[in-house]
Amino acid sequence: MPPSPCQLCQTNRALILRPKNGHKLCKPCFLEVFEAEIHHTITSNNLFHRGERIAIGASGGKDSTVLASVLKTLNERYDYGVELILLSIDEGIKGYRDDSLETVKRNAKQYEMPLMIVGYDELYGWTMDQVVEQVGKKGNCTYCGVFRRQALDRGAARLGVQHVVTGHNADDVAETVLMNLLRGDLPRLSRTTSIVTSTPSVTASPNSNTPSHTNIKRSKPLKYAYEKEIVLYAHHKSLDYFSTECIYSPEAFRGSARALIKNLERVRPSAILDVVRSGEDMAKLVPGGGSDSCGGACGVRSKAVVPETEDEEGGCGSSAERSMGGEMAAMEKRLVHDEQAAENGLETEVTLPRLRELQPHRQTVRMGVDGRARKQKAQKGPAQTPRKLPQQKMGQCERCGYLSSQAVCKACVLLEGLNKSRPRTAINIVGQEDEREQAVDEAVNAVRQVSIAAD
Amino acid sequence: MPGLFHEQENTGRKGFALCVLHVDTSTVEKDHSAVGQLEQLKERYPGHVYSSVPLVDVFTGKDIEEALEKLPVAHISEQEGPSMSNQSKLDELIASLASASSRADVISILRTKLIIRMAQKYDCEGILWGDSTTRLAEKTLAETAKGRGFSLPWQVSDGPSPYGITFNYPLRELLRKELLAHANMVSPSLTSLVVSQSATTQASTSVRNTTIDDLMKQYFESVEENYPSIVANVVRTSTKLEAPSAQATDKICRLCSLSVPDGLFGIHGWGGDQQEAMSDSTDEPARGLCYGCTRSMPQSVSSLP
Repeated sequence: MPPSPCQLCQTNRALILRPKNGHKLCKPCFLEVFEAEIHHTITSNNLFHRGERIAIGASGGKDSTVLASVLKTLNERYDYGVELILLSIDEGIKGYRDDSLETVKRNAKQYEMPLMIVGYDELYGWTMDQVVEQVGKKGNCTYCGVFRRQALDRGAARLGVQHVVTGHNADDVAETVLMNLLRGDLPRLSRTTSIVTSTPSVTASPNSNTPSHTNIKRSKPLKYAYEKEIVLYAHHKSLDYFSTECIYSPEAFRGSARALIKNLERVRPSAILDVVRSGEDMAKLVPGGGSDSCGGACGVRSKAVVPETEDEEGGCGSSAERSMGGEMAAMEKRLVHDEQAAENGLETEVTLPRLRELQPHRQTVRMGVDGRARKQKAQKGPAQTPRKLPQQKMGQCERCGYLSSQAVCKACVLLEGLNKSRPRTAINIVGQEDEREQAVDEAVNAVRQVSIAAD
Repeated sequence: MPGLFHEQENTGRKGFALCVLHVDTSTVEKDHSAVGQLEQLKERYPGHVYSSVPLVDVFTGKDIEEALEKLPVAHISEQEGPSMSNQSKLDELIASLASASSRADVISILRTKLIIRMAQKYDCEGILWGDSTTRLAEKTLAETAKGRGFSLPWQVSDGPSPYGITFNYPLRELLRKELLAHANMVSPSLTSLVVSQSATTQASTSVRNTTIDDLMKQYFESVEENYPSIVANVVRTSTKLEAPSAQATDKICRLCSLSVPDGLFGIHGWGGDQQEAMSDSTDEPARGLCYGCTRSMPQSVSSLP
């Protein structure tokens, strides 16, 4: 068979089969198309505005490296007029993050962008290595996810930026859609399908002039980009990225959903995009208004800014170990328990779950019970009251001031548990102080003291 | 599914009349249920109205001719027009579909369409579907994967359907394995009446022949094994989605007959569509198919039922 020419320029030899739609393209055309699509996503969703300072959540992995590279290219080509800054989180995972941070440091030079690194140790007094030592390999992703979310916001606040872009790609979003269907979490399904999310501004503390981290916008410019194409782009652009995956295992639901997405892609390549589309459409059908702030009346699709909560995007998308392990089993147990309770006409007994299970499941439980109750009502007669899912009410954590639907935010709850088993250290880092900068400084000092004490 | 109709044990009380319908898909599907099994069912449960109709009958009816007139000219067929036999229309339709997933999807939509039409013809008040919890969970994820998330409220809920007839899923609280166990335990056993499904769930060796529905079936088979409540929870979750209130202006998909919000047909015109970023976005805009149906049927076809 003679080499086929590129479908776009018709001159060069086609070297790349686009995973997304099977088009045969030459290298320059592929790079061009990929960038044009990201540009399209950015402009059609009005993600940026001139003069904006934007932090790129940079891990050194392929997604964020490609994001940084593409944004730099597009910012110059189309004159967005935005200032780009790299923001990295150091979770404190030896043999993984320390190496990937070196990549980010090189990227900062290559792309001539300033870089800020915020560490779990300075913020929380714990590195992930220490957390894993404490809680084991199972369930540690919960800590990491909750901590990362806050850390990004705190880093952004330090930088004085109001907007953080992350490298979440179409595969990640599709995975999250399926995962939340499996978990029965419609509110989260509806939030995570939105391209822009924002933590709503809670009463900004009047005595603080630093930008409030409760008011930071997040967006995913790569939301519609296939993971495979991101890899191809990185490869053909010879980008310097770090490809080792996190050494700690991911949560089971995400692993299970990810495997399913990969199989779907094999059967029908458009399936990833199709799941994303389904997720966006379903978000509008979630009772209680869900995401659509304009009530669907404005006819603009998927552009609403959606309030986020403290634990979105928990997964870090690693594919290291794909077990259907403990998390699914735990949920199964809980569902059975709810069912029995509902059958006996009892309220679900609220037992305090063990700490590491606490947060991810609380909401699910509530919904399970509600769903049951509603269904029984519905069976009795057609007269249905409008169904409502539990709506999260946002307030501030009474300890650290971070945005939270509970009195104490998840990070503080998790920290409390961790710190209990470390009595000597008496750290209560995230909290007490209204002014975060000061809290951070204290934390740094505290950590120093700890390490001195440890020595 | 057809094997599950016999759950309606005749108690002697005649509060209702059942019409048992079997759709014969043997001309287009390899794994089809045999008509012979319907005969056995009839012997076992006499007193109901039984009928078997071939899938091709979906092309019979007055609305077809209207639909035919509106359709774009097909490029495949030479002998188009009213003279074309229904069977060749069906064959052409199926042959135009590029993948096993699309064929399975379209066949299932046609089957549903035909069942609804027959139910209306028989003046039925509602349709009882044999979907188990497991099947509904499969459907939830499969339709999501096919880009038909918008249609879920209509695919899994009891009550009035958008087709003007009530849908009910009396087996919705039971897992597939429970149904099979039941069929095996009652005396005399029903196992011989149940269409064996194990063949389809075997992992197909080639990606080519695997369908999205197969993938979901395999997936939930394993989930059902260890985490049955998660299966039920998926169904509970998708049942919570609320159908958008019907607008008079809503447009209807020509294949699946569901109303398409904002009349947004096809796969373009949403955030994930970046075609307009490229030069050639000359895809015909309004073929009148919803997103999911456009994915299954990217080529235009001369006739749709």
